[in-house]
Amino acid sequence: MLLIRAIVRPEKKDEVLAELSSAGFNAATMVDVVGRGKQKGIRIGGMVYDEIPKTLILMVIPDDAKETVITMILSIAKTGTGGTFGDGKIFVSPVDEVYTISKGTAGL
Amino acid sequence: MKEIMAVVRMKKTGATKKALVAAGVAGFTAVKVMGRGNLVTDPKAIEACKEKLLSMGMDEFSESWDTEKMVTSFLDGSRFFPRRLFTILVHDDDVPRVIEAIVTANKTEYGIGDGTIFVLPVSDAVRVRTGEAGEAAIW
Repeated sequence: MLLIRAIVRPEKKDEVLAELSSAGFNAATMVDVVGRGKQKGIRIGGMVYDEIPKTLILMVIPDDAKETVITMILSIAKTGTGGTFGDGKIFVSPVDEVYTISKGTAGL
Repeated sequence: MKEIMAVVRMKKTGATKKALVAAGVAGFTAVKVMGRGNLVTDPKAIEACKEKLLSMGMDEFSESWDTEKMVTSFLDGSRFFPRRLFTILVHDDDVPRVIEAIVTANKTEYGIGDGTIFVLPVSDAVRVRTGEAGEAAIW
């Protein structure tokens, strides 16, 4: 199983989550975060804004669903035709074990 | 070295903390998050709760289909609800013990929405105070 951490624009989160849900990936956790990227934030006039609000979406998915989920997030979270700075990132990490508390057993 | 991520009900934060101390794990990080789980495919599982909520929600001002739609979306897992995300760093041998403690503390009679536990591998950890790394940095 894989943990997908996707950092997306807050205005795109509803669209991303709705699309993932209709594709059968309903379970998700989201956190409001602030961060900056390679561009060192945004400079407007003399002011540098390096705590830009984003939404972090956490999802644990089976190994074979990786491609589907990632292409889906990439296509929806992109803004403009070729993408824009600040559209976000996706990190994928391995998950050893998953337990569902209400069932008390291992598995998603 | 493993990282245990547990998404639990807000109401169960205190119980989880107590269970962790009882299991011998004192350190953790907790974040307020929004979460939802798998969609409920079996309508029988939410029937009792749905009836209870519908009897509370109906009044002369609201449409019945509207109320029912809202109540169903509350119960079938399509809405996000506030949850608490615990992040605990443990030694490999302690993983089953900690999971057991979290599961017993968080189980409810509802059978749905009690949360999930993920176990992730961690490559390294460093204690800022002393600079020691690896297993020694956990506790």
